[in-house]
Amino acid sequence: MLLSDDELWALSYYRTSEINGSLFFGRLARTLRPSPIQHDLTKHFADEAQHAWYWTDCLDRLGARPIKMSDAYQDQYLEAAGLPVNLMEIMAITLVFERRVINQYARHLAVPNVRPEVKETIERIMEDERWHVQWVRDALTGMEDRFGKDTIADTLRRYKEADREVYAHTLAEHEARLGFLLDSGPHPAEERP
Amino acid sequence: MTTPSHDEITARIAELLGVAPSRVRPEVVLSELVSDSYRLVEMAIELQDDYDVIFSQADLSSVTTVGDLADLIRTRAP
Repeated sequence: MLLSDDELWALSYYRTSEINGSLFFGRLARTLRPSPIQHDLTKHFADEAQHAWYWTDCLDRLGARPIKMSDAYQDQYLEAAGLPVNLMEIMAITLVFERRVINQYARHLAVPNVRPEVKETIERIMEDERWHVQWVRDALTGMEDRFGKDTIADTLRRYKEADREVYAHTLAEHEARLGFLLDSGPHPAEERP
Repeated sequence: MTTPSHDEITARIAELLGVAPSRVRPEVVLSELVSDSYRLVEMAIELQDDYDVIFSQADLSSVTTVGDLADLIRTRAP
């Protein structure tokens, strides 16, 4: 069965978002000096690029071609939250964003009769996403002495607020296309503090 | 570490942004040097690394020009 326009749009949106994530982390990996963060960030960048390939391949196997999109979720994110000004802020925005990605993919997996190709792609990506959350959380913990635990907590709070705002805006803007995801209801992980 | 001079900082900014040093004068607005705002983020991260300083949102909200940024680094440098 051919993909519906809404499914094609959603999968293309995921693909574009993974490409943007890869480009963002690739630039940062190029900027940083050798360190454990540079090491993990380089792996993170490579994962995101691989995820973009998984979606491209998934669409191909479903007999579809990705829709070309000019911007992605991350663009609105930086607009709402402001550009990060130091490495801690980049890690904080990444942690909040990665949790959003996991929630979004979990929502998609909960859609009744999700296509096997889509399910397989999401499950493959989710394995990496769990590590992304883990290493970024560890990196932030390691920054507590330099930036202060309270400052990090405040920064995470600021980005979480921006995240909620952007996600609500995205759902409202693309309500018709993402209706099939909304029907699956919120994922429990979304309530995580 | 000795406090870096204005000249040293502006030379580093020129290098990081890939623009001619003659364009990086104290009165020049930073956003006019590059069209890509993310390039400014990369520059900020590298400068913090170079001079062992930390910038906050509040710090950078008052930074507009090359001179503002050099002043900020000089007051923060250990």
